[in-house]
Amino acid sequence: MNTTRRTALAMVAGLALAGTGTGAAAQDMPAPFDNPSEVRIALVRYLSTGDFFQAYLSGVERQAEALGVDLRVFDSRQDAALQADMVDQAIALGVDGIVIQHGLTESMREAAQRAVDAGIKVVAFDVNVENEAIPQIEQSDFLLGKLALEQAIEDNGDSWDAGYVYVPGIAPLDRRHAAWEEIKAANPGIREVAQMGTLDNPIANSNANQARSVLQANQTISVFFAPYNEFAKGVKIAVDEAGLNQDVSIYSADVSTADIAAMREPDSAWKATVATNPAVVGEVSVRALAIMLAGGDPGAQVIVPPTLITQDFLNENDITNMEDLSAKMPQFAHADVAMTDWMPLPPR
Amino acid sequence: MSAEADRPAVAPVATGQPRSGLLDLAIRYGFLALLLGLVLFFSVFAEGFSGPRSAVFIFQSVAITGILALGVTCTLVVGGFDLSIGSVATSAMMLSAYVMVVLEMGAGAAIVACLLMGALIGVVNGLLIVKFKVPDLLATLGMMFLLVGLQRIPTEGRSISTGMTMPSGETANGVFSPFFLAMGRHRFDVVLDNLVPISVVFLIVIGILVWCFLELTRHGRLMYAVGSNERAAALTGTNVNGYKVLAYVISGVLASVGGMLLAARLGRGDIASGTNLLLDAVAAALIGFAVLGAAKPNAFGTAMGALFVGILLQGLTMMNAPYYTQDFIKGAVLVVALVFTFALSARRAGGDG
Repeated sequence: MNTTRRTALAMVAGLALAGTGTGAAAQDMPAPFDNPSEVRIALVRYLSTGDFFQAYLSGVERQAEALGVDLRVFDSRQDAALQADMVDQAIALGVDGIVIQHGLTESMREAAQRAVDAGIKVVAFDVNVENEAIPQIEQSDFLLGKLALEQAIEDNGDSWDAGYVYVPGIAPLDRRHAAWEEIKAANPGIREVAQMGTLDNPIANSNANQARSVLQANQTISVFFAPYNEFAKGVKIAVDEAGLNQDVSIYSADVSTADIAAMREPDSAWKATVATNPAVVGEVSVRALAIMLAGGDPGAQVIVPPTLITQDFLNENDITNMEDLSAKMPQFAHADVAMTDWMPLPPR
Repeated sequence: MSAEADRPAVAPVATGQPRSGLLDLAIRYGFLALLLGLVLFFSVFAEGFSGPRSAVFIFQSVAITGILALGVTCTLVVGGFDLSIGSVATSAMMLSAYVMVVLEMGAGAAIVACLLMGALIGVVNGLLIVKFKVPDLLATLGMMFLLVGLQRIPTEGRSISTGMTMPSGETANGVFSPFFLAMGRHRFDVVLDNLVPISVVFLIVIGILVWCFLELTRHGRLMYAVGSNERAAALTGTNVNGYKVLAYVISGVLASVGGMLLAARLGRGDIASGTNLLLDAVAAALIGFAVLGAAKPNAFGTAMGALFVGILLQGLTMMNAPYYTQDFIKGAVLVVALVFTFALSARRAGGDG
């Protein structure tokens, strides 16, 4: 426990000390990690292109490196049948653990069961393989939406007219939508006067056009809930073009370097966003698997909590990109879930 | 070309038969009447629809696709088709962001680079079609895929914005020049302060230029001739291949102008395939066939087509219609326009015979 605290502290301060902490912890690790180079794990991916998935992979790689285990990456490039075959490949390779990253329930259910039957420990990120032996790693999209809305209520009171951006049928957006429904039900003063949204790309441009109409038609809107950063970017363009940046506040989810710049523009309408660091989700996935390999139980659901990022925080700490954000906001750089007292953390 | 030549012959027949005269009227002015009806409908039922500000942002919402559509109109005129315009636009967006943010150069360099890229892609498309005899749809389809991939190679698939981390681990510190951003954001004072954005001015100026070029100049008439009967045009000594390449160059350059306006509006280089830009632009150009009963690609029709789609979408958004109804309506408008163009015009032609 002491070691963890020290490691965490070192990390929080952003000191290189974390590296030595890792080395010290490695000696105390339980079997099979007393000889980590003999441990082989596989990451079987369904989705891989884009900033989010790239960052997730880097988190998996970093945590695997901190543990000292041998990581194999299988990338099915959105081919569901191939992904199932890759699980079989990993079984044939004799890996000790598998992280399944996304995929379809129908195609992965049997493959995951075969891995479990072969005595392999398995965790799944953002795909339900309907198997009690397999813990689910999740980023909580519901909390993502809820934290943003709670900030909106804190800033604007509990009585306002809202514009809302939503495209049904996209799983994370549907989960964020549940938070919006809950907040609306709990606060009768909050009125959704307009709903819009499109995924036509470039997404920001298409949503800017729509939001411009919505703002024109509904001049009472003082809060825009746009729970996806591309949506928020589009709404911000429309708000700026309408000259309403002092009158409308935007609350969103997800964050990128470009978003940080947009939030920090003078008089920016984009007041807050809530995000989970995909790299942290990657680290948590590997840690949960490591706990299982050591004979522990990470729980049926491992939820990586999201972080609230406000405009004021960005300005006060002069944050310009994602690296700054991780350094200044420790809870964004590390989630204290799937932790044990022996768990080594990646150096930061 | 042939429809144009037939028209004087139609007139006497039309006066003799009132029904056919009515049909002629419907074909000529039906679409514009529909447009007017739509404006009236939304003015009554969509709060905040009527007024100069709404008019301006409807123009703004169609400015980029409108400019692309004018380019594709030129390729349609020579009997070709350009599927690469969407990806040319997004490539220009990435290129301008790359020049300013990563290479830390100014707006001038970015604009010149984009225009050159657009022209070069046009030349390559044109040469593939006239020299290597690749069918136009296939050549420009290939170019589309090529560009979607190419625009992502320099940044390894990342979007470009100030402060981004490059694949090498360095941070890109360049910024979008204020002059460049003004292309997407500056507004002129017309009647009201800060009313008309530059992108709308671009659309109108480019629309007038393309219209003048196609309708009033000898070159424009020859391009129509190439499109309607290539052999006949060649036999009269027209440089058919030259005009075809020219059409793709115009298309490429206009698409890159659209891409720059997009970059200026977004303020960053966004990873996007541009498929929606392509489809919307093509829809506008095809709807344009129906305007004034032209039954052929024409710049005025294209502009009206783009405006028609813009009015519909913005009006529906104001009335809180969900996104899927918008796609449905866009499709319905296109189908109706194509019926106007093909079925009704064919019946009119049939009536003459």
